[in-house]
Amino acid sequence: MKKKNSIDIIEKQKYTKETFIVQILITIAALFFIAPIGIIINYSFKTKKELYLNSPLALAESFNVNNYITAFKKLNLLVTFGNTVFYTAVSVAALVVLCGAAAWAIARCKGKFFKFAYVYFVVGILIPYQALFLPIYIIGYKLALTNTRIGIILMYVATGMSFGVFIMTSFMSTIPVELEEAARIDGCSLYRTYFSIVMPLLKPAMATLTIMLTFQIWNDYLMASLFVSGKKLKTLTVAMQSLFSQQASDYTTALAAIVISILPLAILFICLQKYFIKGMTVGAVKG
Amino acid sequence: MRKKSLDNKIFLQYVSLVLPGMLIFTVGLIIPLFMAFRYSFTSWNGMTKEMPFVGLENYKKFFTDSYVRDAWAFTIKFTIWNTIIQNVFALLFAMALDSAVKAKKIYRTIFFIPCLISALITGFVWLRMYSNILPKFNELIGAHFNFLLFGSKETVLLGLLIANNWQWIGYWMLIYLAALQSVPLELYEAAKVDGASRWKQFIHVTLPMLAPAFTICIVGITTGSLKVYDLMVSSTGGGPGRASTSIIYLIYNTAIGGRQYGYGSAMSISLVVVLLIIAVIQVGILRKREVQA
Repeated sequence: MKKKNSIDIIEKQKYTKETFIVQILITIAALFFIAPIGIIINYSFKTKKELYLNSPLALAESFNVNNYITAFKKLNLLVTFGNTVFYTAVSVAALVVLCGAAAWAIARCKGKFFKFAYVYFVVGILIPYQALFLPIYIIGYKLALTNTRIGIILMYVATGMSFGVFIMTSFMSTIPVELEEAARIDGCSLYRTYFSIVMPLLKPAMATLTIMLTFQIWNDYLMASLFVSGKKLKTLTVAMQSLFSQQASDYTTALAAIVISILPLAILFICLQKYFIKGMTVGAVKG
Repeated sequence: MRKKSLDNKIFLQYVSLVLPGMLIFTVGLIIPLFMAFRYSFTSWNGMTKEMPFVGLENYKKFFTDSYVRDAWAFTIKFTIWNTIIQNVFALLFAMALDSAVKAKKIYRTIFFIPCLISALITGFVWLRMYSNILPKFNELIGAHFNFLLFGSKETVLLGLLIANNWQWIGYWMLIYLAALQSVPLELYEAAKVDGASRWKQFIHVTLPMLAPAFTICIVGITTGSLKVYDLMVSSTGGGPGRASTSIIYLIYNTAIGGRQYGYGSAMSISLVVVLLIIAVIQVGILRKREVQA
């Protein structure tokens, strides 16, 4: 049977009157979805005066970046942004290497241990870390990991393993065994085989996992608010929370902060859309 | 003999690839699960060294504690509505984008953008929408709609549902869309040759082929909604009163605010158990249907 590419949208029907009605309805729905985003961006450029006097539909009078400057200062942006990038990048890199290694071993070995390992990891998908933040915090505290960079990174790794092993294992069938066997005959150690043969072949899977985990960790609030509350260690999302709870009259600063925090993710998404959709739809497509 | 020791060595090397991840996962997630289980039988306040054992007291308390009852009531209502609304609209949007409409990629991106935003920000954006921005439209058109959805107990659920669905419909839509696009065209052609109407084609071709997507979306939305917390932190703060206090929100308040670690842990365990049961039941039922289909 011919199979369509699940990512590209292909035409298969004629444009009829019905399609036109659908087009109108979907446009109305799209307007509802895009409107808040448009309002956030527009308002982030407004002055306080404009906020009170002008119509909500009016565009900001000038390209006024004062809100961005205030947000930049209040968020301590260089530090918080740097922290978020650092935590996200290191956790994701560690997760990709660890999940890839575990999934590869699980896929290549038949023993009971590996079967157990797979079930053990995957059951974890059903355990909500959000419900266990309390003992997670206590264990972190006992190991002197609270308010440290390594602590929050280890927690992200711990809570991301299940999903990562699941995704990686499902991709593993696409890796040909022959190359590994050839490498072994040439006297390549297992670890070198993993790093120099398997990992390059796993690139698409790794890209998918990277982008999925990046979004999750970048946007995390609960873990970050518990583990890194120190001023120098705060993440962007946690810093933003303090901006949100300040006086309601000055919410344009908060909106500017929101634009700043979404921008990197939006760019990442637009560049890597293909991998993102692939990761989301693992298991959703029959056959 | 030499071969066996070589096999053994390779086996151990493979094991060593699994172990680091397994260790971190165990310490960071599995041990905390058992710790919560242990605390749930104590009246520990999180400060003292001793943890007074109280048996099932904490669990018995659930049945008389109106805070717990209200939090579950809110969480369950929130979950049921989310599961219905998100599945229906995600599927409708996906079907619309699977038809002959123009500019599909633009729609797809628009619907998806809200998923990129953290729930904390989504909550704040909708708080400002309801309390500052939308009321100004009233002035503009001279109407008196009540947009202050977070202001009263009756409307706070609706307000949060709008915010949550705005954020997540696009995500599930993509899953349905991928599933719809993977249905082989030959199946529709065969159905047409057999004289099946559009409705019959939908029921007998599309729906069965969507079964795996249904499983993922229904389980994902249900379990995700039961864990809702971030959304309320920056929007309603669990209020007005306790009207939007979800179960995780209550655990946070009880354990961190009220210093009742033992009782909070019992709530955590009850949530974990509920999530496991629901996931197992749903996967069981839905997978069975997949096989039949």
